[in-house]
Amino acid sequence: MSQLLNAILWLPVIGIIAVLFTPKGKDQLVRYISLATTGITFVLTLFLYAGFDQSVGKMQDQFTILAPWIEQFNINYHLAIDGISLPMILLTGLLFFICVLSSWTITKSVKAYFSLMLMLQSSVFGVFMAMDFFLFYVYWEVMLLPMFFLIGIWGGENREYAAIKFFLYTFFGSIVMLVGIIALYYATGKGSESFNILAMHGGQFADMTVNIFGTEWAFNKIFFWAMFLGFAIKVPVFPFHTWLPHAHVQAPTAVSVILAGVLLKMGTYGFLRIAFPIFPEAAVEYSTIIAVLGVVSVLYGAFCAMAQKDVKKLVAYSSVSHMGFVMLGLAAMTTQGVNGAVLQMFNHGTSTAMMFLMIGVLYERSHHRWIVRPDGSKGYGGLATHMPKYTTIFIIGMFASLGLPGLSGFISEALIFLGIYKKFTSITVVAVLGLLVGAAYLLWMYKRMFFGEVSDEVKGYSDMNKREVFYMLPLCAAVIVFGIFPAPILNIMKASVGNLLTILNQG
Amino acid sequence: MTVSLLTHLSFYLPEAIAILTMCGLLFVEAAYGMAERGRTLVYITGIIGMVLCLALLGSNVGIAPISLFAKSVVIDSFGTSMKIIMVLGTLGTFFISDKSTDIYENLKSEYLIMATGVLVGGMLLVSATNLLTLYLGIETLSILSYVMTSLKRKESTSQEAGIKYALYGGVTAGIMLFGMSHLYGLFGSINFADIAVGVKTLEGAKFTAALVSFLLFFVGVGYKIACFPFHMWSPDVYQGSPVPVTAFFSIVPKLAGIAVVTRVTMTFFSAESALGDVWSIFLQVIAALTMTVGNLAALRQESVKRMLAYSSIGHVGMILMGVIVMNQTGTNAILFYGLVYMFMTLAAFFITGFVVNRYGSDDHVFFRGLVKNYPFLTICFVLVLFSLAGLPPFGGFVAKFNMISAAINSKLYSLSFIAAINSVISLYFYIRLAKTMTLDQPDEETEELVEYTVPARIYLAALTIPVVVLGIFWDKIYKVYSAATIALGG
Repeated sequence: MSQLLNAILWLPVIGIIAVLFTPKGKDQLVRYISLATTGITFVLTLFLYAGFDQSVGKMQDQFTILAPWIEQFNINYHLAIDGISLPMILLTGLLFFICVLSSWTITKSVKAYFSLMLMLQSSVFGVFMAMDFFLFYVYWEVMLLPMFFLIGIWGGENREYAAIKFFLYTFFGSIVMLVGIIALYYATGKGSESFNILAMHGGQFADMTVNIFGTEWAFNKIFFWAMFLGFAIKVPVFPFHTWLPHAHVQAPTAVSVILAGVLLKMGTYGFLRIAFPIFPEAAVEYSTIIAVLGVVSVLYGAFCAMAQKDVKKLVAYSSVSHMGFVMLGLAAMTTQGVNGAVLQMFNHGTSTAMMFLMIGVLYERSHHRWIVRPDGSKGYGGLATHMPKYTTIFIIGMFASLGLPGLSGFISEALIFLGIYKKFTSITVVAVLGLLVGAAYLLWMYKRMFFGEVSDEVKGYSDMNKREVFYMLPLCAAVIVFGIFPAPILNIMKASVGNLLTILNQG
Repeated sequence: MTVSLLTHLSFYLPEAIAILTMCGLLFVEAAYGMAERGRTLVYITGIIGMVLCLALLGSNVGIAPISLFAKSVVIDSFGTSMKIIMVLGTLGTFFISDKSTDIYENLKSEYLIMATGVLVGGMLLVSATNLLTLYLGIETLSILSYVMTSLKRKESTSQEAGIKYALYGGVTAGIMLFGMSHLYGLFGSINFADIAVGVKTLEGAKFTAALVSFLLFFVGVGYKIACFPFHMWSPDVYQGSPVPVTAFFSIVPKLAGIAVVTRVTMTFFSAESALGDVWSIFLQVIAALTMTVGNLAALRQESVKRMLAYSSIGHVGMILMGVIVMNQTGTNAILFYGLVYMFMTLAAFFITGFVVNRYGSDDHVFFRGLVKNYPFLTICFVLVLFSLAGLPPFGGFVAKFNMISAAINSKLYSLSFIAAINSVISLYFYIRLAKTMTLDQPDEETEELVEYTVPARIYLAALTIPVVVLGIFWDKIYKVYSAATIALGG
């Protein structure tokens, strides 16, 4: 059990090696190897869940692995998990398994595709497990390489632009973060410098100053914003979201799923693990700004989604909107708010993954994604009559995203509103409006795509096959089960969120 | 410490071997001429010489610094480490020149001779501890460089580059000499140690005079490392020269120049002094401008050689950060950066040379869809490009990390942020090339090229693997460099 994190982290790497050594032309074997790797990894994450002690809030002795890496800089190979990272790890395990299944139809450079997928999985796990800031940064950046090629090679017609834009934006955020990381390292104390994230927690940098371009700045403020930038671009928070619609629309289905389902959560995870607990004073001081940015993301994302003619772009903007709710929950800094935010991270992961997967299923049949074509004529129409299985699953995903009571999105959003209402009443009122717009664009989309006359084009589509139904089922189960009974997820995060709030309230 | 001349010479064996190699090459070339056998023999001589040189340098690592020849040179671990990188770089370009069609076949042995000569100058420069040896080093390095630039005699671009390089070099050397003469006038000595004592107690008019002389002195060195505003020659020279020469120029003279700037700064200014503060600010401005100008100019280059030239200006700006901090963290970072930079540059130019061999041009369009025809080569290049951009888990990232951390350790936050922004700028042109090679479609489907043989693959792997390994397991080499730089300064 003690090596469980290592096993989860390195199993995909073993998978890559196996894939690379597969003889030429055996594409089917490559697919099965990848499926087996992600499958076993997912099962291992379930073991993690089983062995997790829910009562421990601080990250002591929860599967910790600690080995020296670069002794001169006191850099360690330090892995551990807590109740905030565990839901994300579970989500990562599940989504990659599903994505491999949904990528079954990829035929272009199969070997490269699946090895990049596995590389992406390993680096995402690394981000959620690393407790050493240097290690965290390495994984945070390594993730960019597979993403660049996955979007750039297997993407849509404008893929190169999207890949480069994604790469540059994220790199910009993270390199500024790197300066912050190194500054923190040297601020941890002469002679005992360390990259240990946990040791940095607790607001010990409150009294320091830095001199930048001849002006004195408070250390914790300037580097809070440096970290903020890195994470906000990833989330993405308005106004740093402009890379996201391009990346999503151009990316192949599975990559969109991973991008929306897991990678965006890395941003909010960064706030929870790094920016907030390391700079609690700054976080509390600027919570209003974060809340405002959150609510702007909610509304802006929702209105943009409403205007889209491309259904994938619509869902992409809806992600901006839904991640805005997470930011609101974080800004609340109350028990309900932060619990709601972490739960929303998990729930958005499952529901948005469903939406992207369903769009992918449809795209494989139609090779376009127009609700309304650019020339004004109708895109899809009457899908409900023609594809009953598809429609049923789509409805579940859509209502989960929309926040219908009984499905997962509702609980997390309700918790967030409960948490934030007292602190930012007016912002809450505006944010609820975002919920309304959210319902509007999703239902309107649904009306245009699924109702009405069955167009000739749609008549040619086959309904979902067994493989497609199979990989949608776990997600359907997740949104329904966690919609009625969110306790399993809430219980694991409770103690850790409590610990975070203790740190924040001291500041 | 007084030791006999013979003992002195025993420490100077690596340089002696390099000189002997040059003589040997001259002899072999004269005796066998252009025959195929002669060509092979030239390469064998060159490689044996360099390997021997490396072995001797390796045995010099870790010894206490020792001044030789009436304190005109010093043999210390910092210099020796830098020399190892330079010799490795030279050896690397030998392989590139072997495959390259950019150099006329009958001039390849001349390339080897001159490269070894420049190396000798560079080695002298690295260990110089008085103004005269420094000047001697710079001139040995420069004069041969001018000739090397014009090796493509029949092409006007190469001739133009040679003239430009020579003219520019002559002027800057003159300015540097002018500065040096003032330094001698001010301090009454050409020895670094004596000048360093004088620097600490400067006042009034003497202070101004010393400052101006040091700035004039910097012109000559700044020209060698191609930092702003002395960088104008470098893109033209890089583009005009044959590929192996370009690769050579971006490694050996540049690193030798960096070593001089480091040694000069560490010797004169690392102790608290008013002049040191000014020097530090001066270098900060130079570093910031160098990286920004280099990276911005690289953005729009269509010629890959030219792009690499500008990007190497950017790298110099980054390396200067390690000089500015004037402490051991900085010098470690310089050595590490130098090592990684050497591997990355060789790999980049090897592949550029390959494309030049294939299509006769290094224009961006010829890199289109390279991955279709040459997957291994392209994957190596992509890894190297990401490393150049400073992405983990590659050596380039660790090098950059060390630089920024040295700067932040000395509270140079503004410079660190400028370096960070520059990384983003540089990422754009590196991934643009990576994109061209991997995502774009090739114009034509080509058959496997004849020259692209197993040795070439091994060579490329030998350059790429260190780039990756240095990004993950860098503690060992860092330990070696920490031990090497401990004696520098003061």
